[in-house]
Amino acid sequence: MVKPTLVTNSIRSLRFANGEMTQADLADRVGLTRQTIIAIEQGKYSPTLEIAFQIARVFRVQLDQAFQYPDVEEQP
Amino acid sequence: MAFLEKSNWVVLFVAVPTFLVYVAMVVPEVLSKPIADVSWVQPMFFTIVGFIVANVLGNVVAAASNPSEADKSDQRDKEIDQFGERVGNWLIIAGSITALVLAMTRADQFWIANAIFLGGLAGALLSSVTKIAAYHGPFQRW
Repeated sequence: MVKPTLVTNSIRSLRFANGEMTQADLADRVGLTRQTIIAIEQGKYSPTLEIAFQIARVFRVQLDQAFQYPDVEEQP
Repeated sequence: MAFLEKSNWVVLFVAVPTFLVYVAMVVPEVLSKPIADVSWVQPMFFTIVGFIVANVLGNVVAAASNPSEADKSDQRDKEIDQFGERVGNWLIIAGSITALVLAMTRADQFWIANAIFLGGLAGALLSSVTKIAAYHGPFQRW
């Protein structure tokens, strides 16, 4: 039904590296609620691709510096 | 807490007591009279109206507690809302099908109306519980 996302992110460290930006500030800049930013940071929700690009752009980093996806081992 | 989550807590806090009030008014009559003599129309009507009014008032209070968040929703809120509604709709459909079968078998109006009423109420409760669970756990729709 609902499975946890495999997408991880570096938003928390990026916020602190950008003048300790608050979750509320980031939320305002990308048009999300603070609760959704919290859910993304905790890995409980993966944003849409568009929002992911917007978040990366706020921190002026590439998408894969903000969001990561683990390598999946090939099935035998 | 997101406003839409608060809104779903309001549904839970309002639906359960209003349903219990309805049960307390109707069940004693069901147990002591023939079904045809049970006065259920007024209790059901006022239960539905009471639920709607209490729900509106609850949302007003929830909005007043944090006005800046009251009109905010985003993609995640919409996805959770759609998911919860879809889950809750199964019980509404189940209530409707039950009512249809009861009508086909010429059951008393009491049973037909209550099948629809309980299906709607149970659907609203399940929908709200699903949304609240989605707000607190992992949630991914794509």
